[in-house]
Amino acid sequence: MIMNHHKWSLGRLLTFLLLIVGAAIVLVPLLWTVSTSLKSPAEVFQDSFFPKEWHWDNYKNAVTAIPFFLFLKNTLIILIPVMIGTVFSSALCAYGFARFSFKGKRFLFLVLLATMMLPGQVTMIPMFIIFKEAGWIDTFLPLIIPSFFGGGAFNIFLIRQFMRGIPKDLDEAAFMDGASRWSIFTRIMLPLSKPPLIAVSIFTFMGVWNDFQGPLIYLNSTTKYTLALGLSMFKGMYNVEWNMLMAATVLIMLPAIIVFFFLQKYFIEGISLSSAMKG
Amino acid sequence: MRNSRSERAGYLFILPWFLGLLIFTLGPMLFSFVLSFSKWDIITGIGSIEFVGLDNFKAIFHDELFYQSLKVTFIFALVSVPLYQIVSILIALLLNMRTRGMKLFRLIYFMPSVIPAVAVSMMWIMIFNPEYGILNRALAWFGIEGPAWLQDPSYALGALIVMGMWGVGNTIIIYLSGLQGVPEELYEAAQLDGAGSFRRFMSVTVPMISPTIFFNLIMGIIGGFQYFTQAFVMTNGGPLNSTLFYNLYLYNKAFVSFEMGYASALSWILFAIILIFTLIVIRSSSMWVYYNGDDERD
Repeated sequence: MIMNHHKWSLGRLLTFLLLIVGAAIVLVPLLWTVSTSLKSPAEVFQDSFFPKEWHWDNYKNAVTAIPFFLFLKNTLIILIPVMIGTVFSSALCAYGFARFSFKGKRFLFLVLLATMMLPGQVTMIPMFIIFKEAGWIDTFLPLIIPSFFGGGAFNIFLIRQFMRGIPKDLDEAAFMDGASRWSIFTRIMLPLSKPPLIAVSIFTFMGVWNDFQGPLIYLNSTTKYTLALGLSMFKGMYNVEWNMLMAATVLIMLPAIIVFFFLQKYFIEGISLSSAMKG
Repeated sequence: MRNSRSERAGYLFILPWFLGLLIFTLGPMLFSFVLSFSKWDIITGIGSIEFVGLDNFKAIFHDELFYQSLKVTFIFALVSVPLYQIVSILIALLLNMRTRGMKLFRLIYFMPSVIPAVAVSMMWIMIFNPEYGILNRALAWFGIEGPAWLQDPSYALGALIVMGMWGVGNTIIIYLSGLQGVPEELYEAAQLDGAGSFRRFMSVTVPMISPTIFFNLIMGIIGGFQYFTQAFVMTNGGPLNSTLFYNLYLYNKAFVSFEMGYASALSWILFAIILIFTLIVIRSSSMWVYYNGDDERD
């Protein structure tokens, strides 16, 4: 018993040390980014890790050097409708697949799973042409509208898996009481499906916040840029002032990290669920 | 309880997805398929699409940059996929121990995976900077003179692979949840049989998480072929095309030189490659993936 205990502590100590080394590897680049964002231009090139003086005004300068708030506004104009469209329409379709039996359901569900395998590159070019013909280039529409049509196969799958776990008695009882399918969906299924709905919301937020190729293809004028696209242009526009570039970088990271901190439980559950589709 | 009213309701609920499938997936696929046998520069109207048969594919197979982009992508996938899996499994094993403060560690390890790719790219451009980047400064402490990383054709791709290791948080989460699904009794039984910790890892952990490894392998291969943002922002394919990823080349063909037919053909080749690799992994999976009897059939 005592032996066993000792062996455990040694193992634990080693684990702990390894974890600390790993955590340092993860954190040092981030800390260095933050510290660089607070340095004076001259100090960026010096050999110090932390700034001697904390130049908070770098942040003030960064948000004016790139039109940060305009880019933020553009990002939100895309983000908010996409979140609504994705969550709502994927829940709707998930409910259809989870609770109804209709001819061809198995086949359609297989098609849904198969579309997850299709690389976006195949549809990227024709979609661009279609949106160009529709006159939607350099508008936010190509980045918003598709989310209202099913909200992505993976999201439907995720919510459907969860809904199948909800006892059928609940909605059947409501149906017997004369509730319509629609009110069963909005009053029973949606409130009970909170965990996957939150996971889908987080993934959608991250997806839009991080999206680079979409805005790059569809948005031409600088005044329409999203934050992610704007940041990359910042690199080219100003012959790299590192402290300001890093300040802008920190500002773009921050919302994603904050969302992650507060909703990590759902985030982690959602990602774990994603690997459950192996079967 | 299948009846016609309920059937109709079912169709109505999945209607948005079905419309999306037609408008944003099947329709474009068909269009793209036609385009891949055509020549078209998009600037002139749709009427000027010219059918050229297999010309695009023939040209692609004589295109040096095509082979270069395949080479870059394959090297990246062959090195990074196994490397990231091993690193992730090791970290997940550590994070799976029951020690105080584990929650904080998990948080730290997962964090990089939520940071936008553009921000990560900006950060690492600076880290890789040969003169004042933190990486070469750290190497200098050990008396090593670091290379020019992103500016050196023989190091640029390696630099991107190293950078990717920093962001394996997603993969770690998936492995961690796989590990947490391994029943404790199996370890206890193995221990009673006298298996050491390495033996326990190889004959209990690895088979039990093999479905997770399988899933991550497929995702890793697909990810390699879709790698874009970092390559676009950090190196734009350079220096000397040493980081010309397949997806970046495709983007350049479609949206820089506007060769829509050629780029569509490239996208179908990409699809074929992903399909082949996925099928290989799926086919071979019966040999090494262990499924517990409990997976649901539907």
